[in-house]
Amino acid sequence: MTATAVDHGPAESGGHAEHKSHDRTYVITAIGLAIITFAETATYLWPKVPVWDWGDGVGITVSLLVMMAVKFFFVGAVFMHLKFDNKLLATTFVAGIVLAIGVYLAVLFAFRFFSAGTHMV
Amino acid sequence: MADDTAMLALPAAERPRDLALGVFTRPRSKTGWRSWVNTVDHKKIGIMYGVSALVFLLIGGFEALLIRAQLWSPRNSLLSADQYNQVYTMHGTTMVFLVVMPIGAAFANYLMPLQIGARDVAFPRLNAFSFWCFLGGGIFLNSSWLLGGGADGGWFMYAPNSGVIYSPSHGIDFWNLGLIIAGIASLVGSVNLITTVINMRAPGMSLMKMPIFTWMTLVTQFLLLFAVPVITVAQFLLMFDRLFNANFFNVAQGANPLLWQHLFWIFGHPEVYLMILPAFGIVSDILPVFSRKPIFGYTFIVFSGVAIGFMGWGVWAHHMFVSGIGPVSVMVFSLTTMFIAVPTGVKILNWTATMVGGKLKFDTPMLFSIGLITMFTIGGLSGVSHSIAPADTQQTDTYYIVAHFHYVLFGGAFFGFVGGLYFWFPKAFGVLLNETLGKFNFWFMLIGFNLTFGPMHILGMQGMSRRIYTYDEGFGFTFWNRLATVGAFTLGSSILFLIFNIIYSVRRAKKLGLECPNDPWDARTLEWIAPNPTPEWNFDPIPTVTRVDDFWYRKYEETADHRLVRVATADEVVQHSNGAGVHLPSPSYWPLITAFGIPILCYGLIFTLWLALVGGLLIVAGLYGWALEPPDDPDAGHDHHDDHHGDAGGEHAGEPTEAEAGSEAKEMETVG
Amino acid sequence: MASVTVAEAHGHADHAHETNTGISNNKLAMWLFLGSECLLFGGLITTYLVYKTPLPGQKGPKEVFDIGFTSVSSFVLLMSSLTMVLGHSAIERGDHYRTRLWLTATASLGAVFLSGQIYEFTAFVKEGMGYTSSRFSSAFYTLTGFHGVHVTVGIIMLVSLILLSIRGKLPTERAETVEIVGLYWHFVDIVWVLIFAVVYLIPVGAPV
Ligand SMILES: [Cu+2]
Repeated sequence: MTATAVDHGPAESGGHAEHKSHDRTYVITAIGLAIITFAETATYLWPKVPVWDWGDGVGITVSLLVMMAVKFFFVGAVFMHLKFDNKLLATTFVAGIVLAIGVYLAVLFAFRFFSAGTHMV
Repeated sequence: MADDTAMLALPAAERPRDLALGVFTRPRSKTGWRSWVNTVDHKKIGIMYGVSALVFLLIGGFEALLIRAQLWSPRNSLLSADQYNQVYTMHGTTMVFLVVMPIGAAFANYLMPLQIGARDVAFPRLNAFSFWCFLGGGIFLNSSWLLGGGADGGWFMYAPNSGVIYSPSHGIDFWNLGLIIAGIASLVGSVNLITTVINMRAPGMSLMKMPIFTWMTLVTQFLLLFAVPVITVAQFLLMFDRLFNANFFNVAQGANPLLWQHLFWIFGHPEVYLMILPAFGIVSDILPVFSRKPIFGYTFIVFSGVAIGFMGWGVWAHHMFVSGIGPVSVMVFSLTTMFIAVPTGVKILNWTATMVGGKLKFDTPMLFSIGLITMFTIGGLSGVSHSIAPADTQQTDTYYIVAHFHYVLFGGAFFGFVGGLYFWFPKAFGVLLNETLGKFNFWFMLIGFNLTFGPMHILGMQGMSRRIYTYDEGFGFTFWNRLATVGAFTLGSSILFLIFNIIYSVRRAKKLGLECPNDPWDARTLEWIAPNPTPEWNFDPIPTVTRVDDFWYRKYEETADHRLVRVATADEVVQHSNGAGVHLPSPSYWPLITAFGIPILCYGLIFTLWLALVGGLLIVAGLYGWALEPPDDPDAGHDHHDDHHGDAGGEHAGEPTEAEAGSEAKEMETVG
Repeated sequence: MASVTVAEAHGHADHAHETNTGISNNKLAMWLFLGSECLLFGGLITTYLVYKTPLPGQKGPKEVFDIGFTSVSSFVLLMSSLTMVLGHSAIERGDHYRTRLWLTATASLGAVFLSGQIYEFTAFVKEGMGYTSSRFSSAFYTLTGFHGVHVTVGIIMLVSLILLSIRGKLPTERAETVEIVGLYWHFVDIVWVLIFAVVYLIPVGAPV
């Protein structure tokens, strides 16, 4: 059950010569993502690290949101090929994200989510 | 081999398969009821959307007449308070989700591929699936009448009133699940139609050359794409609350009922635009034909439609001014709502300017279009008065609101749809509807409509509440209510009159053997290049487009001093091919089977989980049959291969010969 | 839903060069669907945020979450994105053996994640936090449950691809099918990136 691509392989390989380097990008990205995930967990394990221990809890939240956004961006750009693909696809996806962030943030503001703390609702 | 073949696209390379999964013979029938059940043709699907919507219109209209009959006199007892709640809830739900939205889908399905010069939508089987889901959802929702009563919480279904405590019957469960099914239809449809517009336009048909109806369809489908999931979330939460005792709207557990209102109206406001925009598109395509002038400010019309699409997302809380969302939210949403009147106003100005200086012809489609412009303007103006929060506080929950949204949705959307029906009926069925009856139909409907909803402005201002099953004598409501009831029955008769005109005209054409001219209106847009009624293959060959209103400019040319001269008759321009070379996507039963499983599953959720299992298995079986069935029947159409080959995935440059196909199939075996 | 899209994907492979935009219909459709999914998960996350604080006497995030455990399963899901994308690049090279290998790895990692979620749910229920216990528990189970269903659908699609490939019906020409399933898979991963940070890690009571 060996995978031979005798008939189709050669025709394909011409257009996709750069794929080896892509694989490297993928692995490096994954390593980066793993490191960020470790840092995310670290905010829980060692909350007193000065990088995020500031502003009475604000630091942790902000650091986590930034790390989350970075992970989001790299999975989208590299693994989902948005960086290399037709811009229309990225536009579609970003439209969904921006719309979601916009309307749902407005809902949270209307619920005084950011000002009332735990006493909201 | 530059082109891959239909063979290579198959997951199952062994060809030809007579039995998909060994169960069904591949459907081949092109006539009779089977040709409708298994069709993947966008035109047939569009017609089925329209016919189903018409049936639901009669149901929803009957409910409306019940409401009006109940309100004929003070302390009337035709309906009990409970029955009244069910009737107005189901009236609103039916009209919004099962009439106006699917009529929009009917026009989009039928016309949009024709207007962009495509042979079908991007995913024909998904298209059939959308339709069957919609029909299943609609039947499921209405079956509640026979299974313990309809939903009774209003079409907006506010929490916590929609909880089991306040509504112990299954009505709201039917509402919830029925609309989730219809939501699947809308979502799948939107993905399908957007892909079609973006990817499958004829050569030369750039976005800015598309007919305006197609543009408005694109905006509408984007609104659906992003709005449907929001209400789906809300409905899932409500379902979990009602069926599995979750706490999303359980105030005793600290839940916030405003969460429902936010989710509902984030969907709900884009919803009103996605109901009206298709009608705007229809009118924008009809007006230039009967003004014998190009549309005034094509770019403005297009971009104001897009702007409405964007801004429609930022105004939802104007439905919640009295719910205690706080002064900042009220102010922000008040302002955004005032601004959204601007792009709508732009459209009205453009339509007016199109008519100014034109050689106007007042055929029925034109009358209905003018009806839309005037009636929608009235509804739009009362809408602007809601954007002013203090005024809205007075108007909320009164008949003033009822008057407003009927002027927008009936006077706006529905008038546009009827105009579109008169305009494109010959396109779809090869029969011109009777003009005299049509004109009579228009005035009949216009008078009935204004008689019904005009008085509601006054009733609202007098303080009459919506959703209350009766009123007392001496409030001064009786006269205006009677007027509205008379109007409602007039309006109902005008709908029956429309159906009569259709039957009469079709019968007459059949009896006298009338041939429908190919270009009865001296039309402008691309769909008229195909003969009437549209042949199965739409176009042969696919036309190449050079400008907006391409069809018109094939008939007329501009001279040096900017005068139009006729250069060709319509019959010279319209295609007369027999479609022999065209290869179309093959029909399939699987979309229907898959869609059929969903309501079964939902009945199961309400009554017994065993039934849910049966429904689930049916869906899974349907999906697998679907996945394993080649989209193109290898046996169909082998007799004619040539350069006009087209299929759902786009245009093939050419089809390999029988021998090549065979060798490709053999090559497949060596892989893996 | 998504599997329907994939089902269609079998139909119209590789007509990319024939569309107006050069994007294949299938890929565009998947991206549109994912754009729509943003609004779905956004709504669920918002619901969770509004309800995440328990009422007095109820179990809340602080009491039940096992961050160490969830970190490991988050890591597992993240790595499945890597194996997925390697599977895609293998089939583009025409290396069908490695394609199957990577796809199997992806499906397995997904299954590990899913088992972790089932284990987590049972642990919570044993601790006395059922689906109907509080507004927090309803919101939490619904959000993570929706995500779990998405993972399950993804695994089914991956297994279907592996079976097709074994039977020789996933030739190099249909590499895009793998890519499209991959898009869905990465999206599910992205949603978990959000959930991991917003639901598990950001402490309740923090000013957000
Ligand atoms: Cu609104």
